[in-house]
Amino acid sequence: MTDTLQSDIVYALSVSPTFAQDGIAFAAQQSGLYRSEDGGASWTPTYDSLNLPSTLPTLTVVLSPDFSRDATVFAGVGGGVLRSNDGGQTWTMTALSLPAPAITILALSPNFAEDGLVFAGSMEDGFFVSADKGHQWRTWNFGLLDLNVLCLAIDPDFKHSEILFAGTENGLFRSTNSGHSWREVNFPSEHAPILSLAVRQNRLFAGTEASGLFISDDSGLSWSQPIHETLDDSVNGIALAQTFPATPHILLALSSRIMFSPDGGKSWTLRSELPDEQQMTCFAAPMGVQEDSPLLVGTADSGILQL
Amino acid sequence: MQHGINQICDAIRPTLGPLPRVVAISPVMSNKTPELLDNGAVIARRIVQLPGRSSDTGAMLIRHMLWRIHEEAGDGTATAAILFQSIYNLGVRYLTAGGNAMRLRSFLERGMKLILNELDQMTIPVEGRNQLANVAESLCHDPELAKYLGEIFDIIGDCGQLDIRPGYGRTLGSEYPDGSYWEQGIISREILGGTEFSRAELQNVHVLICDQKIESPRDLMPLLEQAMPANVRSLLIVAQDYTDPVKSFLVANWKRGVFQAIAVKIPGSVPDDQRAFMEDIAVLTGATPIYKATGQKLDTVHLSDLGQARRVWANVVHFGVIAGKADPLALRQHISNLRAREQATPDADQRRKLQQRLGKLLGGSATLSIGGSTDLEIKSRKELAGRSAQAMRGAVRAGVVPGGGVALLNCQAALKPLLEHPDDADERAAYNILHQVLETPLRTIISNAGSDVGTVVAECRHRGDRYGWDARSGQVVDVVETGIFDVATVVRSVVTAAISSAALALTVDVLVHHKNPEETIQP
Repeated sequence: MTDTLQSDIVYALSVSPTFAQDGIAFAAQQSGLYRSEDGGASWTPTYDSLNLPSTLPTLTVVLSPDFSRDATVFAGVGGGVLRSNDGGQTWTMTALSLPAPAITILALSPNFAEDGLVFAGSMEDGFFVSADKGHQWRTWNFGLLDLNVLCLAIDPDFKHSEILFAGTENGLFRSTNSGHSWREVNFPSEHAPILSLAVRQNRLFAGTEASGLFISDDSGLSWSQPIHETLDDSVNGIALAQTFPATPHILLALSSRIMFSPDGGKSWTLRSELPDEQQMTCFAAPMGVQEDSPLLVGTADSGILQL
Repeated sequence: MQHGINQICDAIRPTLGPLPRVVAISPVMSNKTPELLDNGAVIARRIVQLPGRSSDTGAMLIRHMLWRIHEEAGDGTATAAILFQSIYNLGVRYLTAGGNAMRLRSFLERGMKLILNELDQMTIPVEGRNQLANVAESLCHDPELAKYLGEIFDIIGDCGQLDIRPGYGRTLGSEYPDGSYWEQGIISREILGGTEFSRAELQNVHVLICDQKIESPRDLMPLLEQAMPANVRSLLIVAQDYTDPVKSFLVANWKRGVFQAIAVKIPGSVPDDQRAFMEDIAVLTGATPIYKATGQKLDTVHLSDLGQARRVWANVVHFGVIAGKADPLALRQHISNLRAREQATPDADQRRKLQQRLGKLLGGSATLSIGGSTDLEIKSRKELAGRSAQAMRGAVRAGVVPGGGVALLNCQAALKPLLEHPDDADERAAYNILHQVLETPLRTIISNAGSDVGTVVAECRHRGDRYGWDARSGQVVDVVETGIFDVATVVRSVVTAAISSAALALTVDVLVHHKNPEETIQP
C-alpha cells in the first residue's frame, strides 16, 4: 500500500495498455496529475513543466491505446483538455469553448491512431469531440437532453459501429455516429445518476450512484439488476475481462468494496474491502480482470491503494 | 374529365425516375424564358386551366391531389400521377362495358388496404449516414447533395431543424450550429457595434421571459436590485416589446459593462406561436414565464423565476441559447408531449411547426448551404434539397421500401389470392386493375430511361423479389443491395391518394358547370 504525494481525492486512474511490461499508470487528483512507473508503488507529479502558480485539479485522465508507441496522454481539467505526447513530461492546453467547461470524463477511440477521435464529457456543457487527436474540439449535443456527463463507454467494435454511450446525472444516452447525435436509452431514470458504464456487444452495464448495478442484454431496451444485498450501493467503476463474454469476469468498485463476478453478473463474491471506512472513487485492473489480479484503487482521502 | 386527367399525367410522366426528362412550361409573360421543371407537383401547379370545362375539372382534380402529396410527403407526385391515370383509364374502360362504379370503388379501396399492409411488411428501418445517403440519392439523384443529406439526417434525425440557404461558392457545405436558435433579432443594433454579421454573446446568462411590453427602465429595477447582490451580470430578456427608453437603458448598461442584457422580442408572428416559443424557451432554460393574463408584473419577478443558460447570442435576425440549464425531466416530458401531438395531428402545417419546435428542444440544428454556378442552378438545387429533406424525415421516422417501383411490383403478390376466387365481375375487375397498375411505375422508369420495357420487366420478374432496374447503370440489380430505396411514408401516401382519389373520380356521374366561371392565373 503506497501513498501518493498528496493524499487528496483521486478522480480517475488510467494505466498503460502494456502495464505488465512498463508499469506506467496515471492518477488524476484534486492536487494535479501523477505518474507512476513502478506499477503504482510510487508517484511523481507531471505538471512541473507548466510552472503553475497553484495546483491544477485534474478530473480525468486517459492514455492512448497505442501509448507504448505514441506516449500520448490526455487530462481533463476545468476549462479544457491537456495533451502530452511524451508520456506526461510536457503538456499543451487546448481551451474549449467559453465559458470554461469542467471536463469530467475523457475517452479515446479504440482506433485512435488512425481516426484521431477523442471524446470528452463535461458538467453543464455536454459532450465534446476532437477528430484531430485533441487539437480542436467542438460540442455535439444534439439529442443529449442532460448536459451533465459523468461517464462514457465506447463499443469495442467502434471502428465499424461508431457506437458510444454517455451516462449523465439524469439518464443514459446512446450515439451511433461517433457522438455527433444522441438518443436516450430506455434506462429507468429514477435510478440515475449513472457513474460508470461498460459495454460489450449488446451487453451494457450501468453503475448508478445509489441503486447499484443495472445490466441490459439488448443494448439498453430492457434492464435487470443482479440480486445481491451488497450491490445496492454506489458503483464507481466497472471492469470487464478483455475477452468478455467468452471470459465472463466482471469487477465492480462500490463505495468501499470490490466485488467479483465469474459468470457475467449472475453471482458475486467480495474481492476486497477498504479498511477504516475509506471511500473508493475509482479503480483500475491493469493486469486483467481476474478474482486475484492486482488492482489500483483511488480513494476520496487516502490517495491510491494497491490491492 | 378523362381527357384533362390524361393531359396533366402525360405532362408529368417523363419526370419519373433517376433519368427524368424535363418539362418546359411557357411563361405567362411572353418575354420571359420558359421554366424547365422536373417536379410533378410544380408542373401540375403551373397548369392553371385547360380548354374545355370537363377536361379542366378532371385536370384540377388530379392537380389538387398531387399538390397535397407534395406538401405532405415532399416526393412521389410523378408516381401518384401515373397510378391515378392508369386506375382511372382502366376503370373507365370497365365502367363503359357495364361495370358498377360504386362496387368497383369499394373493391379498389379494399385492395388498397392489402397493398398498404404488404408495404408495411417490406419496410426496412434506415440507419447510419451511408444508408441515409443512399435513400437521399434515390430521392434527389444528386450524389453530392445526397451525401450531405445523409450526414445531416444521421445527426438531426426526423425532427431536427434544417435550414437550406443559398451558398456563396460553387459547392455545397454544412454547418451544425451549437444549441437552438429562433428567428428574432436583437432589438438594438447599437449593442452589436460592427457590421450586420456581428453578434452579441453572453456567458452564464439568466433568462427572463414575459409576454408584456417593457414600458420603462423602472420596470426592470426590482429585478436588477436582486440581481446585482447575487452577482448576476448577464441577462437574456424575451419580451413582447420594448419602449425606446428601455432600449436606451439597456444599451447604456451594455456599454458600461456593469450589467449586460441581450433583449429580443418573442419569436413567432401570431399569439399561438409566440406562446409556444415562450413555453419552449422556458423549458430549455428552466425559466418561469411571466404571463400578463395571470396578473403577474415585472416588479414581482424573483431571481428564481429566471432561467439560465451557459451561452446566449443574438444578431440582427436570430438569437440562440446554448446549453440551457433545463430540468432534464421537465424537458423530457415536454418533448414527449410535443411528439404525441405531432403524431396525432392531421394538419401538415401544424405538424411541421411541432417538428420545428422538437428540433430546437433536442438541442441542435443544421445548415446546408447550396452553391452553384448560376442563380438558376442554386435555386433549383435548393428546391430539390428542400423536397428531398422533407421526404428524408419520413425515411428516418418510418423507414424505406425497395425503390425504383420494385416495392409496388412486389405488392402484386398480395392481390393474387383474391384474383383467383372473386365473388363477381366488379371484384375481379378492381383487383385486375390494381394488379396491372402496380407495375406501371417500373415500366415508366424503364421507358423514361430509353430501354425496352418488356425485356427488362421480364428479367426483373425472373430474377426475384428484390430485383429492379437501375436506370443509371442500365442493369437489372438487387435494389436493396444497390441502395435504391423509396421512402415508406411517401409510397404509402402515394398509394392511398392515387387509389382513393381515382376510385372516387370513377364514381363521378354528372358534372355541373357554372355559367360564367371565374378565371384565374394564380399558379
